[in-house]
Amino acid sequence: MDFLERAPRNLFFTGKGGVGKTSVACATAIALAERGRRVLLVSTDPASNLDEVLETPLAGEPRAVTGVTGLYALNIDPEAAAHAYREKMVGPYRGVLPDAAVRSIEEQLSGACTVEIAAFDEFSKLLGDARATADFDHVVFDTAPTGHTLRLLELPAAWTGFLETNVGGTSCLGPLAGLKAQQALYDGSRAALIDGTRTALVLVSRADVAALREAERTHGELAALGIERQELVINGLFRAEDLADQVAVAMERRGTDAMATMPAGLRALSRTELPLLPFGLVGVAALRQLFAKTGAATAPLMAAPLEEAAAPAAPPLAALVPALETSGHGVIMTMGKGGVGKTSVAVNVAVELARRGHKVHLTTTDPAAHVEETLGGAVDGIRVSRIDPAAETRAYSEEVLRTAGANLDAAGRALLEEDLRSPCTEEIAVFRAFARIVDDGEHGFVVIDTAPTGHTLLLLDAAESYHREVLRTSGSAPEEVRRLLPRLRDAAFTKILLVTLPEATPVHEAAALQRDLERADIRPFGWVINQSLKPLRVTDPVLVRRRESEARFHVEVAALAPRVAVVPWSAPAKAQPRLDFFATSESPRAEAAP
Amino acid sequence: MSVTIRVFDPAMCCSTGVCGPSVDPELARFAADVDWLEKQGVTVERFNLSQQPAAFAETPAVKEALGRGTEVLPLVLVGDRIAVEGAYPSRETLAALAGVVVKKLDVAPAGSTGCCGPSTGAKSKTSCC
Repeated sequence: MDFLERAPRNLFFTGKGGVGKTSVACATAIALAERGRRVLLVSTDPASNLDEVLETPLAGEPRAVTGVTGLYALNIDPEAAAHAYREKMVGPYRGVLPDAAVRSIEEQLSGACTVEIAAFDEFSKLLGDARATADFDHVVFDTAPTGHTLRLLELPAAWTGFLETNVGGTSCLGPLAGLKAQQALYDGSRAALIDGTRTALVLVSRADVAALREAERTHGELAALGIERQELVINGLFRAEDLADQVAVAMERRGTDAMATMPAGLRALSRTELPLLPFGLVGVAALRQLFAKTGAATAPLMAAPLEEAAAPAAPPLAALVPALETSGHGVIMTMGKGGVGKTSVAVNVAVELARRGHKVHLTTTDPAAHVEETLGGAVDGIRVSRIDPAAETRAYSEEVLRTAGANLDAAGRALLEEDLRSPCTEEIAVFRAFARIVDDGEHGFVVIDTAPTGHTLLLLDAAESYHREVLRTSGSAPEEVRRLLPRLRDAAFTKILLVTLPEATPVHEAAALQRDLERADIRPFGWVINQSLKPLRVTDPVLVRRRESEARFHVEVAALAPRVAVVPWSAPAKAQPRLDFFATSESPRAEAAP
Repeated sequence: MSVTIRVFDPAMCCSTGVCGPSVDPELARFAADVDWLEKQGVTVERFNLSQQPAAFAETPAVKEALGRGTEVLPLVLVGDRIAVEGAYPSRETLAALAGVVVKKLDVAPAGSTGCCGPSTGAKSKTSCC
């Protein structure tokens, strides 16, 4: 396949959450290795599931992937990198400095800043230092969900500029002491990223209007950062075999319509199309099928599906709403892996609450927000807002200059402005905006369509370390910041809906997220299984197999979740609230299964 | 002028404190004052506990003071002697410690720190008393 033949040394996969970046990156790495190349596959996703997909336990150093000669993989786990970095800094002073002093160093190095910087440092070692990857012909990066990916990729440019202009030498980049010594490495990262002979950026998308639009946006942003060599992969393209199957026909038409409206930037890129397979892409054997030129419905790779009777019942989303509204106000957050439909679920919960007479504030922390599009115009009782990282950062910087910078002379202001240009400022600004919106839940319902899992985790981790920080200092942190964590822990105030698809990766990531939340004393209210074929009648061979393969995930979710709702697959109507979520049996294409 | 001023800061992200949950105006003010003092030809060295713990461990007076708890930070040393403990001195105090003559125009406008100077003895973390 051309895509594999022309692959340069470094390959980056990016795209909206849920488009299958990990699957396509893994399948590419496997296919390259099977052509005799030595390949290193790297995940920089904080919520990486490379272990599960490759069925190989991975670590921070390259490990051989079971069953594929020449393929090695590693996870850049930002938490682990930050931990290692912290130990390197603090270790030598245990027993040398008083315990309280050592503890205060550790606390300072526990924030989101350190995590982000430590991860970037690891990433740079692989990209900026040719010796680190000298043993490999290809380095394949399975990058994190879009918003995070962009930040990660923007950093080389931002930081190189930052280091050049940072005359005071007293920047926030302090958590990486000796950062200037690393400058050559960071310059190397940037050079490698924009060099088309060494690096290609692969935009992964589905044949889906929102995913394609997102890919177009990413394409433009990365081109503006100087990354000119880009390719497009359309994953999961579906062709109906059984034309009597209305769901199959609707699914194919949805894809064809989306492809017909593909934005111009993407249209100009060289394109590879991969078929929707009748099984989940977990395991090397399944991943090999992605680049194999076979009929889609071949190769019985799934374990025997569970009997239909074993699968639990599938109540609709509307059934959850009465329990959500009992307290009359509060915060409802949708969380889950990117691309599982958090926005649709959030919008539909908001619409249903408004329909039942409540005032609702609908908002998102997702940098790639499309809440407004999903809602499709003004709805009585719903106020829509969005946490825009750039705008929040600007407002926060201005506020700091107005307050803390008010009485400084010109030189002092310049110093403060310089520190405010650091990448950490955005994290703090977004965090404060989030706290402010949660505060709004005192007065009515706030429905928050949260960012993809990785970023959300950073946000919650920030909540935890901020909580400690806030209790410790007598600084002027806003009241809502101080109350954030207690509010998130109050099950009567905050209700979290974990959204998943009936597939292995999103279910297991949601389960991991639930465990992380429970560690922070936050208990999810319930789970929503989105885009399910279970409540539908299908006859197309690929869809029948996919529907069968869903059953085990319904069983798995039922065992994990305090409450479950199931939302049937449907082609979203253009720019309309999807009220069909709440009237599943009346949808023309979605005939209820007996 | 041969005097060296050394400032030992508490563990923090950056010298102006913009990385914390709230920006401490006192830190921003002090960062500006240090910048000013350096421009007067005084050598000022700043050490952050989270970034340069070695400097704390290797300076006997600082290590000894830390034994009483991290509340003693920040410490300002003139030569090897602790001159200010637990607070950031005003620009005037810094100048006096370094033996610099302050010209009226150089001083930060009144209202910035005047009422919260080190004379209060408290570790001022909020804007103004």
